[in-house]
Amino acid sequence: MAPNVGGAKGGAKGGAKGGKPTNLSSASRVSKSAKKDGPKRPPPKEQKSKPRTANENLKKKKKRVYTEKELDLPELNQITPVGVIKPKGKKKGKTFVDDAEGMMTILAMVNAEKEGQIESKMMKARQLEEIREAKRAEAEARMKEKKNKFDDVKDSIRQKKKGKGGDKAAEPTSIKDSISKPGRSKKKTVAFA
Amino acid sequence: MRSLTEEETRTLFTKLASYTGRSLNSLITPAEDGSQSVFRLQGCRVYYVNKDIANLSVSFPRDQLLSAGTMVGKFTKTGKFRINLTALDLLAQNARYKVWIKANGVMPLLYGGSVLKAHVARFSEDCPENAGVVILDSNDVPLGFGVTARSSAQIAKLDPTSIAVHRQADAGEYLREEDTLFTT
Repeated sequence: MAPNVGGAKGGAKGGAKGGKPTNLSSASRVSKSAKKDGPKRPPPKEQKSKPRTANENLKKKKKRVYTEKELDLPELNQITPVGVIKPKGKKKGKTFVDDAEGMMTILAMVNAEKEGQIESKMMKARQLEEIREAKRAEAEARMKEKKNKFDDVKDSIRQKKKGKGGDKAAEPTSIKDSISKPGRSKKKTVAFA
Repeated sequence: MRSLTEEETRTLFTKLASYTGRSLNSLITPAEDGSQSVFRLQGCRVYYVNKDIANLSVSFPRDQLLSAGTMVGKFTKTGKFRINLTALDLLAQNARYKVWIKANGVMPLLYGGSVLKAHVARFSEDCPENAGVVILDSNDVPLGFGVTARSSAQIAKLDPTSIAVHRQADAGEYLREEDTLFTT
């Protein structure tokens, strides 16, 4: 079987090869290239790369300098810490507060700020106190309710006991009476002569 | 000796305002007799000095001038302000909140202890938590100052051994810190 199959395959291959000899030949490629050569292009020029030592290359290109704003760095990651930056163009040195008016304005500002803080603190404390009071009242009410419920349950049990107890108390007496009436009790007695 | 900058003035007043009320204005405004006191900085320490004396003090070299007037406190290296015990008189005159303590609380305070609830005789009303208070004895003599641990409403409910006021400075420092109190 194997030689047969091989023979058939070999035949088919041979046929195909025989059928298209011209198509795959190098001649066909040549003809294609000839067709495409319609628009004429200028002959490619050889690009000359300039040596590194050339004057143009030796000159340093100006690198773009990024400002800190452009870099979008996180504030704490900068060279100068946030608090230390001094605005440019401002006069060096300290500005003293020597006049009473300046002092007064600063004092008024500080006082107002402080009063506001204290006021807000007191408000907060009062609110918290109110909430605490409300919670306490609620807890007390709940406790009272619980106690009342417990008392009710206790009372009901007592009443039940009383009701049952009354019947029970009545029954045994009647039984006892009935037992005792016939004359002998069940207790053994010892009599000495 | 120089006057304070804006920033320093704000820091100083913020600190003072936590102990004093609106009467802090009286520290700056000139008195009826025309005399005025000012805040001056020498090294890192702030002094409350009569203006005439402050003006005269410029004739001394800075490194040789030790002190002039009342020392209020000093600026730390981080720019915060610490009130010194010597400013107690200024604070006591203008205090917003006061605590009067019983005789049994005086000695513990003067030895550097906090004010317990058992020591408190009287408390200013409506005093919030963490507010600056001046501590006085039963004869209205200022002994020190501190910061409230709880609000005045809550202190009433505390147990006797719990802390009512955290001590910041007390008059006992005049002895305990004698060596370092005025050194620069």
